[in-house]
Amino acid sequence: MASTTETPQSLAEARFGRTVLLLMLAGFAAVLLAVGVAGIAMSRSQERANWISHTYQVERELAGIRLALEQMRSARRGALLNLSPTMRDQYVASTRLLDRSIQRVARLTADNPEQQANVGRLRESARALDALMSLSLSARSDRSPEVEARRQVASAAVVQMSDRMLEAERRLLATRESQRQGAVTWFYVTLVLTGVMLAAVAVGSLWVIRRYTLALMSSRDQLRKLNEGLEDAVRERTVDLQRANDEIQRFAYIVSHDLRSPLVNVMGFTAELEAATRTITTLIETVEAQAPEVLTVEAREAACEELPEAIAFIRTSTQKMDRLINAILRLSREGRRTMTPEALDMTAMAHAIAGSLQHRVLELGAEIRVDEPLPQIVCDRLAIEQILSNLVENAVKYLKPGRPGLIEIRGRRDGPRVTFEVADNGRGVDPRDHERIFDLFRRSGVQDQPGEGIGLAHVRALAYRIGGTIAIDSRLGEGATFRVNLPAVFAGEQGKLA
Amino acid sequence: MNTHQPVSIVMIEDDEGHARLIEKNIRRAGIFNDIRHFTDGTSALEFLYEDPVGPAHNGPALILLDLNLPDMSGTDILARLKSDGPLRRAPVVVLTTTDDKLEIQRCYDLGCNVYITKPVNYESFADAIRQLGLFLSVIQVPDIEE
Repeated sequence: MASTTETPQSLAEARFGRTVLLLMLAGFAAVLLAVGVAGIAMSRSQERANWISHTYQVERELAGIRLALEQMRSARRGALLNLSPTMRDQYVASTRLLDRSIQRVARLTADNPEQQANVGRLRESARALDALMSLSLSARSDRSPEVEARRQVASAAVVQMSDRMLEAERRLLATRESQRQGAVTWFYVTLVLTGVMLAAVAVGSLWVIRRYTLALMSSRDQLRKLNEGLEDAVRERTVDLQRANDEIQRFAYIVSHDLRSPLVNVMGFTAELEAATRTITTLIETVEAQAPEVLTVEAREAACEELPEAIAFIRTSTQKMDRLINAILRLSREGRRTMTPEALDMTAMAHAIAGSLQHRVLELGAEIRVDEPLPQIVCDRLAIEQILSNLVENAVKYLKPGRPGLIEIRGRRDGPRVTFEVADNGRGVDPRDHERIFDLFRRSGVQDQPGEGIGLAHVRALAYRIGGTIAIDSRLGEGATFRVNLPAVFAGEQGKLA
Repeated sequence: MNTHQPVSIVMIEDDEGHARLIEKNIRRAGIFNDIRHFTDGTSALEFLYEDPVGPAHNGPALILLDLNLPDMSGTDILARLKSDGPLRRAPVVVLTTTDDKLEIQRCYDLGCNVYITKPVNYESFADAIRQLGLFLSVIQVPDIEE
């Protein structure tokens, strides 16, 4: 039964284990993915923010360029108008400021070739402007409108260049802003997807676990049902066996009973025949005395020899049959007796049995030894008494002539069971007959002792009834050991298969 | 036995041989009352209760009853006899092969007057029947109330 249900069961369990593992892996993967995505999105948005601040920095520097340009212009004008003697120095400082600003923008936009080109042009324009302005400040300056116009152009070129760069940076900023926005959107999308995945994993796990639990519950219910069914089946079988046993008992009883009725007739009419024969014999004697010539030899023989002989045979046979029928009756009656377990002092019982046979044992010059103490048991007193006394009586009955008889009653406990032994040094039993002697009406060896072959059959039936077994260990001429193995505590016939 | 009205003996016994042996031995004991023999319960009951010359209508009776009958259990007949009816006081001798203790108890519980187990040994059987005959010759049998 285990091998047939175990395989699909274990398969289902393996499948369940795999599914749960997969789902858990998927869940962890989703969580890891979410963390990864969050990290990536975080770092990318950080990057974007850096770029944006970078752009603002560039913008600030560009504004610095414009400012420096304005300072240059106003310082030049101040110097030209001679407003202050420091104006020329101021102009130089402004020029340096412009240079530094351009330098910083160049550094900041080092990664952008387009801006680098712009910076280059810006630097050139600034230099040209500076040259023109410095020239205008020198003593021999040409203040022609032409020169003025060129200076204006150069100044405009610087402004234009810085504006272009600013524009470029603005464009970059817009792109970066939109990129950042995109990254945030992507982050949210991934987050939602991960959430959906997690939810799916959770639902899937719940579903699998629920299904498995349901399967477990149903199999548990099934098991319980099966178990109950098994109990019912056992009960049914027990009832069947009990019924079969009762049937056999009843059968034995009825058969032995119904066999008795015709036997009464056979014996009764045999007696009538005997009585009639006596009458006839008397008549023949009278005839013999008074008219011997009428009497034939055949008639005389028939009346005086054949009839009594036939009647004697009928009698011995019917008597034997009567004994056998009585034995069956006794066995069947014994089988119907209720067993009542009680605590038994086996040592005392063995001594009592030995005592009851003391007379015969002394006559035979034999000895019964009880190996004290015998283990105590809980069993039906009468059954144990009959088993033990039958075995001991047999031992006494079948001692070997010419050898001082020694019969030993031993006992030992092996866990929940007890073994009692009745060993003798008598004539023994041929191994071929070891099974046979326990059968009803079967005997072994020389038939020089009275008996019907019932004792051991009775012992075995009793041993079986109290949940025991009986075996013999013997060789012809070397004594015999009968071993009765019994439960130490006989719980009664409920719960035991009869 | 009652002198004014002869007690008839009703024997319910399915075995012809037994019936013959019982009758012979009762006669040997010196009982010469009328013996009616029935081999089954139905005809016996019919005679006991319905027959105009049967004991229910005509005089006292003593019943010898075997328990193992082909058509009904002897205990059923016993129960019927001992239940309220004209024959409830008629002595019933159960004469059967059954020597089961429970069966004997049951018969006495049902009101049987004597329970005898047929011994298988013929001498004992003959003895028992003869003693029954002697017993029958001294017991008083009540009249049947009409």
